[in-house]
Amino acid sequence: MRIAVARTSEALAGAGPRRRRMSLTTQRTLEGYFFVSPWVIGFLVFLAWPLFQSLFLSFNELQATSLTDLKWKGIDNYKEAFVIDARFLPRLWETLRNNLLDVPVIMIFSLFSAILANQKIKGVIGFRAVFFLPLVIGSAQVIKQLFAQGVGGATLSQGVNIQELVFEYIGPDAAAGVSDLLNRLLFVLWKTGVQMLIFLAGLNSVSPVLYEAARVDGATDWDRFWKVTLPLLSPVILVNLVYTIVDSFTDTFNSVLEYIQMTAFAGGFRLGYAAALGWIYFIVVFAILFVVVRITNRYVFYAGDRSG
Amino acid sequence: MATIAQQRVAYDDTLPRLWRSIRRASPAPSYLFLLPMAVFSMLPIVYVISTAFKPLEELLLFPPPFLVRRPTLDNFQDLLFATNALSVPFTRYLFNSVFVVLCTVMLQVVMCSMCAYPLSKARVLPGRNLIFGAIVAALMFAPQVTRIPQYLVVQKLGLIDTYGALILPSLAWSYGLFMMKQFMDNAVPNELIEAARVDGAQEWTIFWRIVMPNVAPAWNTLLIFGFIQLWNDSFSPLVFTRSEAMKTVSVAMIGLTNGPATIARQGAQAAAAFLMTAPTITVFLLRQAKVIQTMAHSGIKA
Repeated sequence: MRIAVARTSEALAGAGPRRRRMSLTTQRTLEGYFFVSPWVIGFLVFLAWPLFQSLFLSFNELQATSLTDLKWKGIDNYKEAFVIDARFLPRLWETLRNNLLDVPVIMIFSLFSAILANQKIKGVIGFRAVFFLPLVIGSAQVIKQLFAQGVGGATLSQGVNIQELVFEYIGPDAAAGVSDLLNRLLFVLWKTGVQMLIFLAGLNSVSPVLYEAARVDGATDWDRFWKVTLPLLSPVILVNLVYTIVDSFTDTFNSVLEYIQMTAFAGGFRLGYAAALGWIYFIVVFAILFVVVRITNRYVFYAGDRSG
Repeated sequence: MATIAQQRVAYDDTLPRLWRSIRRASPAPSYLFLLPMAVFSMLPIVYVISTAFKPLEELLLFPPPFLVRRPTLDNFQDLLFATNALSVPFTRYLFNSVFVVLCTVMLQVVMCSMCAYPLSKARVLPGRNLIFGAIVAALMFAPQVTRIPQYLVVQKLGLIDTYGALILPSLAWSYGLFMMKQFMDNAVPNELIEAARVDGAQEWTIFWRIVMPNVAPAWNTLLIFGFIQLWNDSFSPLVFTRSEAMKTVSVAMIGLTNGPATIARQGAQAAAAFLMTAPTITVFLLRQAKVIQTMAHSGIKA
């Protein structure tokens, strides 16, 4: 608390003379809105309004290439997606299945690597940096092009030569399995950079005092991991879970988004239909996220709860 | 004796016991996991670097070989020729990129944090749940679909072909706000804020002097993360700007490598891929220590 006092008095010195009195509650509320407003304005203008327009667009079809010449179609676009279009639903299902399998693996793996990278052992900063590398380079447009030329996980896992060793010593079936596993592992590993960083930040905001207190009370290390680290990390776990779900569902490589992009720009410029597909996808993903957040929130522990 | 025990506390706390008792003997088991993971993580960057030095005939091989066999600097020379042929000097793209990315990242972080503070800590804020609900909803929406309407908004505001068009649309960052709010909920004790309020500190002061230092790991993470996204973003400069003088490096690189004679430019492309990653790696290395360190220095905890 020593430093807390120091900081507060510093804050006081900078605060200047007190303002005239409104009702204190009104003043606090206004101040709250002042803090919120820049973000909210940006949100309304550049996100909410375009979202609303795309909803409107999804009930229309563009007549010509002009963006203002619309023809009302009602729910025809939505009907088409479910009844006529044979390509949309399989893609949607594939994306859902892949992502729901990947998300838990990414979460556990990134927590694991964050804990590993949070130790004070030699070279740990180097490891931290290295774990983040795939993300740093993987999102670059130019690299996407490189990978688009047929450079996949397969090429890269050649770099460690494991498949060939397995192939020679165990056999072709095992080699195929190993290479499949490797590709999946690589894929997961490359996606954990941000999550690991968020977990690291979370681990670092857990107070050492609490560990000390738990130790004094005789908690074992195992207890402390489950009873101190995990509960205090739980809001961060929620953040990460949301991030991971959002990230994997809005990844431009996923086949639904590819299809939407294609419909909107390459395949005849069908903006209305693309907007409808986007909204269907949005509602599906939103439902998933809603359920996940609802369930997880029950287990989240907030140390500095706002009721205080 | 006590000091040794305390030093151990600092790094062993997050580890389960069994593991720790193994680790007591040596740090080897940790390295056992860390090293292979590091090797796997290194593969893409090794590939990118080695590709940047491949001569043309190796670049055209299929499947592409992982490592370069006869390294050459030709690709960088090609890239240099290609940039010389541009209508605008390359430094102009570089300036645009740096200027836009820095402005956006800083404003993003400040706006997200400012908005998160009352959402997390205000006692009275009508509409709080509405705002928060909107954020979570906005997180989900695939940007591909809002792009056309977003373009119309930018156009209506008369921002096309200005820095405003590159900076303003990405400022209200839903994920950044979400993350700042979660961290403020958890890492800033209410007692501390109450104490400051009782002492008469203004909200603005509390925000900058108390809240922000306490969530430094969070906003440093956002800085890194925002930088990477924006640096690599080629969509908004492509769509929101017209004149060549307003384009950014990421667009210039695509232009370089996508034009006519693309096959001949494959080398330049590989070199460009290599060079594009350098700034993001630098920013990461500069800021990542802050993600860890700041917390240790601010000292107070719940």
